[in-house]
Amino acid sequence: MNQDSSKDISNKDLKIGVFLCRCGGNISDTVDMEKLRSSVDAEVVEEFENLCSINGRKIIRDSIIQKNLDRIVVAACSPITHEKTFQKYINPLNPYLLEMANLREQCSWVNPDVETATEKAISLVNASIEKVKYAQPLDPVLRKTTKSAAVIGGGISGISASLSLARQGIKTCLIEEQPTIGGAMVKVGKLFSPEKLAEECAMCLLNPLVNEAVEHKNIRIMTNTTLKSAERRSGNFHLLIESKPRKVIEDRCISCGKCAEVCPVEVKDSWNEDMTFRKAIYKPFAQAVPDVYTIDLEKCKNCGKCQEVCRMNAIDLDMEGEVVPMTVGSVVIATGHKTFDMAKRPEYSYGRHDDIVTQMELARIMGVNGPTQGKLLKPSNNKVPERVVMVQCVGSRDEKPGGRKYCSKVCCMVAIKHANVIKQHYPDTDVIICYTDMRTPGMYEKYFKYAQSNGVRLIRGRPGEIAEKDGIFLVRLEDTLSREPLEIEADLVVLSTAMEPSDGTINVSGLLDVGLTEELFVKEKHSKIKPVATEVDGVYVCGTAQGPKDITDSIVQANAAAAKISELINGGVELEPFVASIDQSKCNLCKKCIDICKYKAAYIQDGMLTVDPISCTGCGACIWECENNAIEIMGQTDEQIIATIDGMLKDKKPEENRIIAFLDSVGYVSADNIGINKISVPSSVRIIKIPSMNRIMPKHILHAFKMGADGIIMGEYPYNPMYSRTKEKIAGLKEELVKNNINPDRLAFYKVYIPYFRGLANKFKEFDGEITCLEKG
Amino acid sequence: MKTIKLKKESVQLVKDVLKDIKASPDLGIYKCVQCGMCTSVCPGARQTEYDPRDMIRRVLEDDETVIDDDNIWNCFSCYTCNSVCPSGNNASEINQILRQMSIDKGEGMKKIVSFAAYGDSFMELGVGSIPNNFFDVMVKDVGPGYMDLKINIEDIRADLGLGSYILPENAIDEVESILDNSGFKDRLEKIKRCK
Amino acid sequence: MKFIPDKDILLFKSCLVNVEYPGIESSTCYIFDRIDVDYYVDERQSCCTGLGHYYDLFDQISTTALAARNFHIAVETGHKNIAVMCATCYAILKKSAKILNQNEEARNKVNEILDDSNLEKREYTQGDMDPAQNIFHVAEIFFNKREEISSQVKVDLTGLRVATHHACHYCKVHYNDTIEGVRDPNLIDKLAEAVGVETIGWYDHKRVTCGAGFRQRFTNKEASLAVTAGKLQALKENKVDLLLHMCPNCQMQFDRYQPYIEEKLDTEFNIFHLNISQFIALAFGADPYKILGIQTHTVPIEPLLKKLNYSLESNQKVDVKAKKSIN
Repeated sequence: MNQDSSKDISNKDLKIGVFLCRCGGNISDTVDMEKLRSSVDAEVVEEFENLCSINGRKIIRDSIIQKNLDRIVVAACSPITHEKTFQKYINPLNPYLLEMANLREQCSWVNPDVETATEKAISLVNASIEKVKYAQPLDPVLRKTTKSAAVIGGGISGISASLSLARQGIKTCLIEEQPTIGGAMVKVGKLFSPEKLAEECAMCLLNPLVNEAVEHKNIRIMTNTTLKSAERRSGNFHLLIESKPRKVIEDRCISCGKCAEVCPVEVKDSWNEDMTFRKAIYKPFAQAVPDVYTIDLEKCKNCGKCQEVCRMNAIDLDMEGEVVPMTVGSVVIATGHKTFDMAKRPEYSYGRHDDIVTQMELARIMGVNGPTQGKLLKPSNNKVPERVVMVQCVGSRDEKPGGRKYCSKVCCMVAIKHANVIKQHYPDTDVIICYTDMRTPGMYEKYFKYAQSNGVRLIRGRPGEIAEKDGIFLVRLEDTLSREPLEIEADLVVLSTAMEPSDGTINVSGLLDVGLTEELFVKEKHSKIKPVATEVDGVYVCGTAQGPKDITDSIVQANAAAAKISELINGGVELEPFVASIDQSKCNLCKKCIDICKYKAAYIQDGMLTVDPISCTGCGACIWECENNAIEIMGQTDEQIIATIDGMLKDKKPEENRIIAFLDSVGYVSADNIGINKISVPSSVRIIKIPSMNRIMPKHILHAFKMGADGIIMGEYPYNPMYSRTKEKIAGLKEELVKNNINPDRLAFYKVYIPYFRGLANKFKEFDGEITCLEKG
Repeated sequence: MKTIKLKKESVQLVKDVLKDIKASPDLGIYKCVQCGMCTSVCPGARQTEYDPRDMIRRVLEDDETVIDDDNIWNCFSCYTCNSVCPSGNNASEINQILRQMSIDKGEGMKKIVSFAAYGDSFMELGVGSIPNNFFDVMVKDVGPGYMDLKINIEDIRADLGLGSYILPENAIDEVESILDNSGFKDRLEKIKRCK
Repeated sequence: MKFIPDKDILLFKSCLVNVEYPGIESSTCYIFDRIDVDYYVDERQSCCTGLGHYYDLFDQISTTALAARNFHIAVETGHKNIAVMCATCYAILKKSAKILNQNEEARNKVNEILDDSNLEKREYTQGDMDPAQNIFHVAEIFFNKREEISSQVKVDLTGLRVATHHACHYCKVHYNDTIEGVRDPNLIDKLAEAVGVETIGWYDHKRVTCGAGFRQRFTNKEASLAVTAGKLQALKENKVDLLLHMCPNCQMQFDRYQPYIEEKLDTEFNIFHLNISQFIALAFGADPYKILGIQTHTVPIEPLLKKLNYSLESNQKVDVKAKKSIN
């Protein structure tokens, strides 16, 4: 912030220029300009037909220079329309030494009566004059982000995000918990796509990307590695990264596989969904990256046989893990999903029989690099199944304990894909999909029709249980279209299990302080305005960590996250400086402000409370918590709020009602909309824009009543993160009024929405009526 | 052809079901997606023409004839449907509400008149039991020992160190008074007249 | 894991335990006395209306008013924790407590009925009875004390092939309160384990109803017994010797009707039926006639006891007239 050169001048000595705009009659037809002019107490009062024009600029600028003006009030249209324009026009003054009085949208257009409109205009101008006296020159906040990023999770989302960042010149570290990158995509074998009916090979699409990532100078791949801790400092992230010891020296291993041949320890191979075995020293799959062996720390018995056969001396059984610090400008969460735990739906008998499998297990069975080299064989006896029954919505769309309320989005397409592949290679195998709704939106519908043409059968009903009798499965359901309880015999049952947030997603979000949804996926700040952004500035999310989605959508999201990081780095975004500022001499480091801040803008650095101006919205919730009055919101200081109230209530006549309406930015635009639509509102209403109702404290309300306000309205948009807190506070404010012998009905709180301006106008009218009744009563 | 008429209040039956005292506050009937999972686990559906999914559909479609459908009397009240319904609905509870509606209409009374003796014994002893009128058939199905058990029950209880199962006089008076004031007594009389 | 009490317990009498299997009650008391559970039985407590309620004979208000009276007896005597031996008591009492707490109109109506009956003192105040915190099945009280149960076992029951039948009205009505599984219920499997017996666990039809279906047993006997037969068939395929129960109504359906079904289907199931309380008491070495009350069973338990070399001799002085006639 700038040092204020004019601070020494007392408010009385400030030279204030007031510029009145007639707005081509929009204002002057309703407001008596002559009377307004004569009521204004200022160094300079000028009036012009349209101030926003180039000629207007000349008038303002000449006055500032000739009359040595310190502060400017422009009484014209809404600041939403032209504040930026007039901030430029007052150059050489600092742009934040301007206040606007909204004489058009919130006065002339809503008050057809000349006398009351003029009275109102006078108080709006007075309020701006009083407020501008306390204005301080400020600089906009310029964001600077380090040109580096950490991507957590090495699946298709993380790889795609890393590549996009790297191609844009951003140093990227790709952190993967497993010994290899590739995630779930390498396991699924075949892929469906919106634009074609043919299934593509997952490995063939992924391999070039993986290779590019390996080769790219801007990407550092760290496998066997997890995030241990994270701290955010001034827009950067200090991370601690913990690597498990691979016990194989990467530069030496030539991936010959001799070690695995001699290893005596057999372990279920999770890469094949536990359907095959590998050794305790292993490489997950042939094309694994990095192309080296790894020792399974939990299973290895340290017998040393591998060391004996390794000609490269690559095995170091004493290798220890390490913790590495790292500082990056941004973080991408790409930690993916896991699948539903079938123990929660025991009636489907999964785990009791080898031939009841999940779709992922079927994918491995049909994968050419899987346990049967791509042949569809039943795990129990290696025979081709006669009938495959697929059960949809297993754990999804299920409100019962353990279930997931949402649709997992990809399962219909996955089932159809596998059904199509089976039908292509095993036309004699009957495939039945038991479904509640087939969800194949957009182009995928064509693939669904293709499955039907291939002879895939569909039965509408959700199975209640799967039993086994004499080696044959009985899938019990109701065919809801024929209204018939049914048992379907099958020799292979495939369960389309729900997608759930992975443990990594939940852990990493906790470490980064990122908010989660009710279902524990990473929450986007706003799905439309701030997609892929999280609640923590600088942390982004993509892929199934954010919610169930297919590979196509995951890649799109990964690229979006990379683009957003690039914006941060290259955009040099300027932000309004209306943020919290700390008086360090008063702060006792109680940290209550840190706990309360939903934007996670406050933190302690070097023993000092610090506010990240990029994250702070200036909502003011922290001020309530601060017992030592150490926090101010720039542009909305107590002095400025009190001065505005005083100006609004100046020269109030005894018989007149005045209502102060504090509105947030949504409410303010809604109020402008009332004017734009020329809807009349009571002339008693005077609107003051406040970033959040959390900023309004009892002292402001009590002051307003003391200065003669008859009623107070507070309006806030209910979908901002601080809203829940606002609601609590209104009750407190009302209690405060009761304590001070003021009828609490004189304070009203409304939800505001931009398109709901007629409703707001009605609320103004009703409240004005109620206040009038109270006055009479 | 059926027409869904423009002006008709099309969800009256659902509303009546939801405001019944038996209806749990979170009863999810509106959320039903007709997946049939209830029917797939329903013993009544396996043995009879009862179809809980279809019953819910008819309630949602405001088809009041569902109340008069004999099939609603085939529910076993086993609540298996309730324990699995993925939409948070409870067909068993709705079935019981529909049965009460049928009883209130009068038709349903015929369905329960054979159980009326339960009510009499309840008011007499403060304890319910298998209605007397089924004893004969039970004795026939189970064996003559069943009648002996009924005759000797207090002795057997005494051998087991248990007191009489019948409530003390003043407790029975309390129970009877409650059932009188709750309207149960009148209800029972009405049901009995259905014979 | 929910909190399960071991004191201030009202052992809630059940109509079917009373007159069909009173041995369940004597066995429960026998176990409670040995595992340090403080309980109390009140002769004034009325029946829950369960059978009549599910015959649709009782209306919900009458059932709820009687529940309020019983709740008052529990609270008044300082035994606010109710433990039931019958699953229908469990479901009925929970439902009534929920209505009394959540539905103000119904609560007022119930209190009006109590006032009109000169029972103002028994009026219900919201929160008097917490359906989740105060109402339990006896099996849950046992589960909480399974270590004490294990330490009291005197009889080796491991030679038996045991399966469990979990009562629907315990598992599936108020499923959020159910412990040890709803879709694959294992509460009594775990109790069997506590006395050293490994059950067969899951079997087809494990969670299927006993088939009683309240009215179905009488008005729809074929359908009712077909369900029971299906379950018995599945148990037979699993070569089960003994089915454990937790509800007298289920036990009746299987025990009373098994011979009938065997005759109709011309087959033999040879499955014994015991309540979990009877089973644990048996493991504790309790007297078959003075505690277990096997003389009221239709499928004789004596062959089971012989198989276990369980001594019947010393206890033969008890009058087993009813038993003899049943055979």
